[in-house]
Amino acid sequence: MTALTAATTPAARPVRHRGGLLRAVARTHRTALVLWLSALAAATAALIWLHSLGDEARDGMSACATPPTDRLPSCAAVEAITADETYANGIAVLATVLSWVMFPVAAWAGGALVGRELESGTARLAWTQSVGPLRWLAVKLAVPAVLLTAGTGTLVLLNRWARGDGDPDLVGDWYYPDAFVSTGPVAVAYALAGLALGALAGLLWRRALPATGVALAAALLVHSVLERHREDLWPAVTRTEAGSLELPRSAFQVAWADTPRHGVTLTRATFHPESHFWPLQSMETGLLLAVTAAATATACLVLNRRLP
Amino acid sequence: MTDTAIEAAGLGRRFGRRRAPALDGCAFRLPMGRVCALTGPNGAGKSTLLALAAGLLRPTEGTVTVLGTTPAAARERLAYVAQNKPLYPQLTIAGTLRLGRDLNPRRWDARTAERIVEEGDLDPGTKIRALSGGQRTRVALALALGKRPELLLLDEPMADLDPLARHQLTATLMADAADHGTTVVMSSHVVAELEGSCDHLLLLGSGRVRLAGPLDELLAAHTLVTGRAGDALDPHTVVESRTTGRQLTALVRPAGPLGDGLHGDRPSLEEVVLAHLRAPDAPPLLLDAREAAV
Repeated sequence: MTALTAATTPAARPVRHRGGLLRAVARTHRTALVLWLSALAAATAALIWLHSLGDEARDGMSACATPPTDRLPSCAAVEAITADETYANGIAVLATVLSWVMFPVAAWAGGALVGRELESGTARLAWTQSVGPLRWLAVKLAVPAVLLTAGTGTLVLLNRWARGDGDPDLVGDWYYPDAFVSTGPVAVAYALAGLALGALAGLLWRRALPATGVALAAALLVHSVLERHREDLWPAVTRTEAGSLELPRSAFQVAWADTPRHGVTLTRATFHPESHFWPLQSMETGLLLAVTAAATATACLVLNRRLP
Repeated sequence: MTDTAIEAAGLGRRFGRRRAPALDGCAFRLPMGRVCALTGPNGAGKSTLLALAAGLLRPTEGTVTVLGTTPAAARERLAYVAQNKPLYPQLTIAGTLRLGRDLNPRRWDARTAERIVEEGDLDPGTKIRALSGGQRTRVALALALGKRPELLLLDEPMADLDPLARHQLTATLMADAADHGTTVVMSSHVVAELEGSCDHLLLLGSGRVRLAGPLDELLAAHTLVTGRAGDALDPHTVVESRTTGRQLTALVRPAGPLGDGLHGDRPSLEEVVLAHLRAPDAPPLLLDAREAAV
């Protein structure tokens, strides 16, 4: 029997052994891979084009005078520049797209990556090859996670570059929900959380369509809860002054109260100055990565409990 | 190396607390190198048993040992083809076989897999979703045999094949199993289909083992008796007896020589299986105890 087994087992090919599962995952999800790469290419092209429009767009927003003076261009000439509108719209669209990456990722992970495989039985096909279910899940999550991190990260950097000096009149203030998410590491964390939540939904529901729905709902919940409570993630600054109060430009206003006292109006403002961008980004990224880790761990646990 | 392909002890599996168990207290032993027919009525637990042996389900009670270890540890050495023959519809046949190579890097035998596909006149460039049910079965079997398994678990493998393809694929399968000493467990409820190709039988009924053992020994243990109505069948274990007019027909496990007036005949596999299916209360007969094989 031993001799027979030795004769029928082809010699181990170490070159092939490495990355077989990687190739299998890439092969079975080629459509998603092609779509993601095309989306990345399109977004990259759009951001490069927007960056090239940037200088002209800023000219279109500059101060002007009629008649023109030495320092200021004529208002008619400034009015004639349309690039600022194109630029502002383009940046707004890309910011929205970047901050919504989580939703298609969650739907895909719940539906195509895990749910459909469990529903059609192809997951069982994979588990009865030489690959254990946990390794299967790990690679199925790791490959898209790496691609999402690299892709979304690149787009965030390109987006920051395309936004130039970040003139709020052109590209929106830093605390606008879309602008906030699309200019920092939270964009990557949202995409990863979408992936993990989707995979968990797929493992729990085991059917493509319900898993897609549940994954989308979970992603929507996480996204809107964080958007609503973003201001609470870092202690805000409070300033109280008699009379009127002028907040610095681009302050993220949280609360505002006018209280008359002894005939004087006391104005009390709570806000995040622009310097809170990075602390807020770090807190939100940390929370999202915690959600991602918890969902991934639960997914592994569910799979491990179900199979011997 | 162990001489046992599958051994179950008190194996049970329940789906949901309120439903009756799909498998209940199954105990049997399948030696290596056998081609075992797993049969029984619909819902008898055939698919559950195969999924347990393939390490796709966790038993709710008892244990199943596969190739001397747990099903999960034997994963690399066994192949399993599920009843619905799941394959990735978006891949081509060639892509499916490459998947087999990628997922079984230490065992993959491309020539065997390609030969099985070629025998069915299939173009390797065809997408799986364009194949008929029978053609999918062929690709699924190619993927399973390409893995060079020591144990091949097939759940209703031939159900959607035309008679010619069924005959041809069974021949391929049996030749391959004989060449490599593969143990095969094949479930089916078409008994006639199994008789020519199998040498071991496992009959399940309502989640329990009804008959287990080498086919010839099981057949030899039964006698088809004809006599006159009213004849005593006493010392023998009666599986099933029927009277039509004055004629008595019965399947018994003789405990000694048949009595006067009784005529004994060797039953076919189909007669033995059908008699057990019609008489769910007949006592089980297990001829696969460890002593028998050692």
